[in-house]
This record gives sequence, C-alpha cells and structure tokens, in this order.
Amino acid sequence: MKILKLMAMISLTTLLWSCGSDDEVNPDEFGTFQLYFENKVGANSITLRAPGSTDYDYETSDGEPFNLSSLGYYVSKITLEGPNGEYFQDEISVNADEAKGYYLLKESNSISRNILLEKVPAGTYDRITFTIGVEEDGMKEGAAGGVLDPAAGAWFWNWNAGYIGLMMEGTAEHSGQAYVDHGNGVEVLEKTFGFHVGGWKDVTDNENFVNNIKTITLEFGTTVTVNPHLSPLAHLITDVLKVLDGAEVDFSTTYSIHSPKGGKVLADQLLNAFSVHHVHQSTSSHD
Amino acid sequence: MIDLLKKYPAYSWVLLLILGSCSGESIDPGEEIYKFEKPAHFPEPTYTFENNPVTKEGFELGRRLFFDPILSRDKSVSCNNCHQQSRAFADMPLHGMSIGVDNQAGFRNAPMLANLAFMREFFWDGGVSHLDFVPINAIESDVEMDESLANVVSKLNQDDRYPGLFKEAFGVDEVTSPYLLYALSQFTLLMVSANSRYDQYILGKGELSTEELEGMQLFDQKCATCHSGELFTDFSYKNNGLSSSFKDIGRGAITEDEADYGKFRVPSLRNAEITAPYMHNARFSTLEEVLNHYEQGIKGSPTLDPIFMEDGKVKGIALTEDEKIKIISFIKTLTDRDLISDPKFQNHD
Repeated sequence: MKILKLMAMISLTTLLWSCGSDDEVNPDEFGTFQLYFENKVGANSITLRAPGSTDYDYETSDGEPFNLSSLGYYVSKITLEGPNGEYFQDEISVNADEAKGYYLLKESNSISRNILLEKVPAGTYDRITFTIGVEEDGMKEGAAGGVLDPAAGAWFWNWNAGYIGLMMEGTAEHSGQAYVDHGNGVEVLEKTFGFHVGGWKDVTDNENFVNNIKTITLEFGTTVTVNPHLSPLAHLITDVLKVLDGAEVDFSTTYSIHSPKGGKVLADQLLNAFSVHHVHQSTSSHD
Repeated sequence: MIDLLKKYPAYSWVLLLILGSCSGESIDPGEEIYKFEKPAHFPEPTYTFENNPVTKEGFELGRRLFFDPILSRDKSVSCNNCHQQSRAFADMPLHGMSIGVDNQAGFRNAPMLANLAFMREFFWDGGVSHLDFVPINAIESDVEMDESLANVVSKLNQDDRYPGLFKEAFGVDEVTSPYLLYALSQFTLLMVSANSRYDQYILGKGELSTEELEGMQLFDQKCATCHSGELFTDFSYKNNGLSSSFKDIGRGAITEDEADYGKFRVPSLRNAEITAPYMHNARFSTLEEVLNHYEQGIKGSPTLDPIFMEDGKVKGIALTEDEKIKIISFIKTLTDRDLISDPKFQNHD
C-alpha cells in the first residue's frame, strides 16, 4: 500500500512537473510521439475480402456496392509543429540498407499503421504534416532497402520507375472488369477493381508528367505535450470513401488504374481523405 | 604480443604485413582500374556515387552477375546475352530485337551500355530515371528474363558462392535487391567510352583524316542539333519519322500524352559503327540506310519532330552521297577500341 502511495505521488509529481514546465522547455529534452492511422470507408471499419468476393460491405454515395481486398499507402516526410515554434522532422535516410522515414501502411497489418516518432524535441505540438507517396528526392537516391526494396514487398513500378503511393483493390458489383488470364498463375478476376496511384515526376521542361505525390497538413485542434515522460498519440483517420466519392468513381467504367495520369483523379482527393480523430497524452500505443 | 613474437618469431613477418597493409600509404596499382574517373571533356556524371562507390569487389561481383543466367527464370539468359562487349554492350546484329527466355522475341533493340554514368534517363522511352533500377526491367520482362526480382534474390541467397561475395563487396550477411542492383551498377558504371579516335583528336593527342574532319563539320551542321555534346545526344525524345503510325508509342507510354506518341530517345552515337542495327525497332542495318532515311525516308505524323517539317510538309535532311560518306567516316571515329577489348569487362568466373 505504501508503495502504491509512493508511486502515485511520483506520478503526480511527474505530471505536475511536466504540465508546469510548458513555458520553460529544456532544449536538450526529447520524447516520443505516436501516430495511429485507422482506415475507414465512411463510418465503417474495414474488413478485407478475397478478390472476387461478393460480400459488398460498402457503398459509394451513388449507391454502388463494393468491398476492399487490399488497401495501403506510403507515408513519408513526417513533421510536427507547435505554437511556440516547436518543430520536429522525422529523419530521412534512403540507401541500400534502409528507407528511414518512409512507412508503408497496410490495412492488412495493424503494426504497420502505428508509427513511433523518436527524438521529438520536448514541447507542445498542434499540427502534423506528412506526404503520401515517395517523392523525387527518395527516387534519386537509387536502389533502396527497407519498405522501398522492390524484392521485399515494396510497391514498385519498374517500367515507369517509381513507387505506388496509394493502392486500393477490391470488388464492385458493377465493375466493368472482365476475367483476364496473364499466365504464370497471374489472373484478374471478374468485377474486381485495382487502383494503383503513383507518379512522382515533376519535370520543369515537360508539362506532360503527372505528379500524384500529395502533402497533407492536419491540425490537432488542441495541443499535446512531448517530454521524456509523455508520449502523446495522434489517432488519424484515412477515409477512402472520400477518395472514391470525391473522384466520382463509377466502377462500371473506372476499374483499372495503373499509371500516373489515370491515378490523378484519386490523388487529387487525398487531401480530403485524412482527418484527426483525436489526440491524447499517452504512454502506450493503440492497436 | 611481444611475448608471442618471442615465442613464435616466424610469425613476426605476418604482423609486419598486416601493419603494412593497414598503413594505407601504398596503393595497389591493380585497384586503380576500378576507379570511376570522369573524362576531362565529359559532363558531370549523374550517378549517385556517394551511395554506391565503385570498388574492386563490387565491380567483380557485378561482372559475375552480368554474365550469370541465374538472373533469368530458367537460367538461360544473362545480361551478356543481349549486351556484348564486342558490340559496345549492344546486341549482335543478328538479333535486331533481342531474344529472351523460351526464345521469345523482344520488341525493342537492345542499346549499348556505354557511358550510363552520364545519362539522366534510361531505355528508349526514358521510363527509368536511375541506373540502379535499370536491370529490374530486364529481369522482370516477360520476353527477356521473365523472373521476379524477389526470386532472383532468393536464388542468390541459396547459391554457394554469392552470399560470401556480397559479404566481401558490401559487408552484408544477406543478399538483398538494393545490393544486387548496386553491384550491377558498379559493373556498368565503369563502361566509360571516351577513348575513340575522335576523343584523341579533341584532347589534342591524335589526328583525324581530311575526310573525317570534313565529316565532322557536316555532322555539326546536319546532325548535331540532336546528337549534341560529347555524348552525342541531347537526351531528348523525338519522332524521327520511322513510320506514320505507331505500334510502339515509346515515350508516350511514359508521359501518357499523345503529343509524345512515337517519340524515342535520341541515342548517343558513340560506337555507332559497331552497334547495328539502328533505331528502337532495329529498322536499319547500316549507317548508310540511316542517312538515306534522314535524307528521303521520313514519314509524316502529328508528332514528327518539327525539324523535319517545312511549310507544313515533310522535309528530310539535304545530304549528297559524298556528304553521307564523309559523315559516316566521322561517325566511325567514335568507335572506342579500348572499351571493346578491355579485359576487365570479360567473363572471369
């Protein structure tokens, strides 16, 4: 009992101390910041179905039934900012050993959707910025490891070399996709759809290229504190219905997107797809 | 240590050797040939050497991989099949469109590999913008090696020799795709072609004949608008009038713009003498045919380069027979005998 009291006192002291120290941040102090990305279709949580499944879990605003079999996106270049000039930039390092600062968030893997930012300077933060996709500075480094290794699951286009920033696959009741056999066991099932949104080239002397990389800034609507004892969490929502509805996707005509120009209508909606569910002070991560 | 040496005096020379090699003062002349050096008259290289500096071990591993059909699905096709040193690493004339696994015909002419360190984009359509990513296309193409990059990595990890060679070259315990690509880049990066008779002339070290010099002047007037600079390309994509409709849309597949349909890379003309056939579709088998095309064979289409248009009509390059002979004489001075005979590019494994 005594021990419990002592622990409670220590915790309280820590809390008071950390709350009281907002205005006098020690520049040598750092903490961590947790991000949790939850994917949704409108108000619905996501259940992944096998390609071709006729269990249609969702509807577009036009009432088109569909489901999802794969969903994911690259998040990179994360920064946090605060009202007093606080600034944190997640370290970026791309080489054969690693793709530090690049994250491949998959619906199928909840661990991949939890990001722990480390060495965040102590202070208060009220805003996050991140990029969906892999921009030119990531490409120009050449062959990369980690989540950018094409032989280890990276979403890579070889013919127009670059990474798929957002992938959304599923089945829609009225998809115009017919069955296609590509040989070697590779087939495209009837009524499926595949949206692979990529394209990073932004060449000044060539206006033709479509750059689908998008940078998103979200306000927390409040401030959270980082210090050696407090690791706040931002729970973010990615609503893919905003992408489909915003792009007015009609699955009967739009079911196969595999190039930068084709993906533009979807990429243009990415800015609306992300929102902050809530932020809180925390010491443990969501699942 | 001293005690040990007293006990085993015979081993003291080993210690001396080790200390000697660690001092770093003596340079093994054998290592010099693995150093990338920009020729004085060339532009700056585009390659990211800071990520992947060329070393003897990395180069030799790349060379082994280049000659090894393990990269292909059924171990039948190596890089060397379509990129042969005697042809400045282009394919042999017999294979206008290269042959892949199961004897499948490719759909574009395999280009030479020289001077890749200086290129900004790769392939006839420029779809790849970093040298490291180039081999992935050949490995994964259905009509070339028809293998997945992941499977190549898996085969290399199961091989008796490769894991040790990757460890030597890069200090890694496991073969991964970026290091496979690094090794292949190291091998091709050293394929610098800058020692032709033309280069000797430019650097004041050799002479060209009167005919060759006249050819150079004609080339400057009639060809160098596109085949410019020391690499003999302006790195652009153009429709040079091979046909009026396009089975292969070329650059248009990358930009997805109809204005680019039928456009292809302006190739370097270095080593053109030994890299027949010519054009992305291997249309011409001699340089004479190429010049005849530019003189009188150009076909009109909406994307034909404006250089071949005058007053709304297709207009070739005015060339007399004598001028063609001289231009071809000049183009032949761009052949680099050193590149095609350098033993370091030969299969040593």
